[in-house]
Amino acid sequence: MPASPLSLFLSRLDFAWITSLHILYPPLTIGLAILLFLAEWRWVVTDDEHWYRLVRFFEKLFIVNFGAGVATGITMEMAFGILYGPFSQAAGPFFGQVLGYETITAFMYEAGFIGLMVFGWGKISKGIHLFATFNVALASTLSAFWILDANSWMQTPAGVALQNGYFQITDWMAAIANPDVIWAFPHMLVAAIELALCFVIAVSAWYVLCRRHVVLFHRPLKYAVLALVVIAPLQIYLGDGLGLIVAHDQPSTLAALEGHYHTYNPDGSVNTSWKVVGWPNAKGDGMAWSISIPHVLSLLETHTWNGKVTGLDAIPPQDRPPVVVPFYAFRVMAAAGGALMLFAFWGAWLAFRRSFTVDTIIHNRLFLWAAILCGFLPYISVWCGWWVREVGRQPWVVFGLMRTAQGVSHMSVMSAALWLIGYMYFELIVWGSTWYFFSKVMRGGPDMESPVVHGGTQRLGALEPRRSEAPSYVRPV
Amino acid sequence: MNGLTDVQAVVTFAWWIALDLSVLLYILLDGADLGAGVFSLFVRSPRERGAIMSAMAGTWDANETWLIVAGGVLFGTFPFVYGSAFNYLMVPLALALWGMITRALALEFRHLAEERWQRFSDLCFGFSSLVVAFFGGMAVGAILQGFPLTDTPGRVPTYVGGSLRFISAFSIWTGIAAVLAVTLAGLLFIRARFEHSEPIRKQAAGWTNIIFFLGLAAVVITVVTNAVIFPWAARKWFGPHFWIWGIVLLAVVYAAFRMRVASRHDRDFTAILWFNAAVAIMAIAMMATVYPWIVPNTWTIYSGASPAVSLFTFTLAMGGFFPVMLMYNAYQIWVFRARISALAAYH
Repeated sequence: MPASPLSLFLSRLDFAWITSLHILYPPLTIGLAILLFLAEWRWVVTDDEHWYRLVRFFEKLFIVNFGAGVATGITMEMAFGILYGPFSQAAGPFFGQVLGYETITAFMYEAGFIGLMVFGWGKISKGIHLFATFNVALASTLSAFWILDANSWMQTPAGVALQNGYFQITDWMAAIANPDVIWAFPHMLVAAIELALCFVIAVSAWYVLCRRHVVLFHRPLKYAVLALVVIAPLQIYLGDGLGLIVAHDQPSTLAALEGHYHTYNPDGSVNTSWKVVGWPNAKGDGMAWSISIPHVLSLLETHTWNGKVTGLDAIPPQDRPPVVVPFYAFRVMAAAGGALMLFAFWGAWLAFRRSFTVDTIIHNRLFLWAAILCGFLPYISVWCGWWVREVGRQPWVVFGLMRTAQGVSHMSVMSAALWLIGYMYFELIVWGSTWYFFSKVMRGGPDMESPVVHGGTQRLGALEPRRSEAPSYVRPV
Repeated sequence: MNGLTDVQAVVTFAWWIALDLSVLLYILLDGADLGAGVFSLFVRSPRERGAIMSAMAGTWDANETWLIVAGGVLFGTFPFVYGSAFNYLMVPLALALWGMITRALALEFRHLAEERWQRFSDLCFGFSSLVVAFFGGMAVGAILQGFPLTDTPGRVPTYVGGSLRFISAFSIWTGIAAVLAVTLAGLLFIRARFEHSEPIRKQAAGWTNIIFFLGLAAVVITVVTNAVIFPWAARKWFGPHFWIWGIVLLAVVYAAFRMRVASRHDRDFTAILWFNAAVAIMAIAMMATVYPWIVPNTWTIYSGASPAVSLFTFTLAMGGFFPVMLMYNAYQIWVFRARISALAAYH
């Protein structure tokens, strides 16, 4: 059902908006769940009260973030059918199945244990509570895998054949283990860990900068910075690996994100240059201007000095993605990732020079401000990375097999516009509330006075108390 | 869409049961939460309103996720239905989603908000619960009426028709009926969750009577309307097996009666169980009536099923995950079972 170009564009914008405003939350949920588990494990093992205080504090931020993630995530599940009904039907046999796996094996599993993790302090034993935290971390990681698997299949649709208007599965394992997910999932998982580490770094640095609870927050600050020394370069390595897959299996995407129009130079030699910045010309067949570095593109995409990289001129015009968004999003993402790595090395150097103790770091205001800034960089990277991926895949919704225009629901311009306005309003309220409540929790600071809650000591009461019993006041926490 | 093997047909049927089970569990569990939210609109004390939210604090999220599971099963097993039905239900689903988002925010953020904003937050909680119940009910009614599909050879039939087609007298009615049903569930929930001496229980008790009879009337009207406007329903109910349906009707009446008795004697948890039994019996009866349609006159469960339906996935899900989910949902309810007072702060 061909939609008008405007309603198609609005539908794309609708979906882009709700996904962009959803992806702000799950990476922190995934990464922070892992960090919470590690911190709680240290508390259970060492009985050091500081670990307990940190867990209870960061858990408050975790809950705020998780709530926002659920609120925006429920929309996602329904949005596929609402905005992209024909795509959902055609891709359903695989895509729907995988999203079904996500719902059953991950989402439901996680939602159940979160209740126990957050409200179970004192009601269940220490060991069971740690187990609950572990399950939250495991389930959210599984969630990430299935979601990435479904999206990766859209990028490199292996194991299927398009017949009678829908995708029949010819090889399940090939479809699930499609080329893109092998690199895309680790890249996203490490992104989530990196984002959570930077979040902890930024929050901790803020407290140290304000001279509040310095001893408490010095530990997560240092540990997270040192962890970043490993994670940040790892993420760059994984990104490179993913880039090779894109170059191999999605040449139009790669050409667009690199602004690589001409496969060959005018003199017939292979075009090996990587563009730092540039802007497409009016005709759309080249760059109006650019600053390029020779050989870097070939090195990046073929790991050889003069390897050939397919340019947009080798792709039929109707199969070319837009250039500006993928081009700049990619550069911003990579720049942010590089900056995080440099920051991590800076922190490691400080630690090596014994300048990362409680007494010394407190005076290094430049480092602390940089640490706070680093809290925002992963968010920008995650956004930009996904924009590269999704805009770069256009005009396809299933790469090479189904166009976005064929997959969109039949929606009038009015419906698409109303949906957009309604969701802009809602998503911004969710975002604003999250931001507001993060600040509120942070201003309040960690609770250092309440007694440390160990295993299940609270009387939970019977289901139907006997009449003679006086009512007992039970705090939920 | 056709061309399922015999094994696949059986697995498809089993998945349909799983889908209906998920939807039923959602209605039973979250219905109470939604109803308590609707009731909170009429509760004057801010502490009591806050306590209502505390009462569902540990379990509301897991309850709501049964709806997500239902969506996941629908997409996974019946993608052709998913893609067309959700297009048809674009408007009520969007409104119900916005209601859910608002409710999630109100529940999670209330304790962090300043006092002068709490009244507004409580209004959001109550009103959004109402919106979810109403448009959810409307969606069910709209589905029962079916919708038109394209008929292009070589292409999957997809929805044609505008965004307002879901509106009809019947679907507006089912929306209202849904609000009544969840309110009754919510009242029973509140009576079970608060300590016996709390004034909110008396307020809820006062309401239970009226809502019960309104609910009863709503059920009768809905059943009669179904028989009149849906030939596929009338054919089954007044066919040769009419007496089986008669027994089902008696079972529902019996469960409702036992619920009233338990409620009057303050055996609140027992009352909830009998109420759930009545709803479950009606739901199963509806399923049996609608079969083999999943959307009457539009998709049967077999024509709408994915050809990739597999026994492996089903066994994994139903043999493994569903039982685990049911167990820990029950465990959660068990852990948070203590009755609370109006003083129960949400943190």
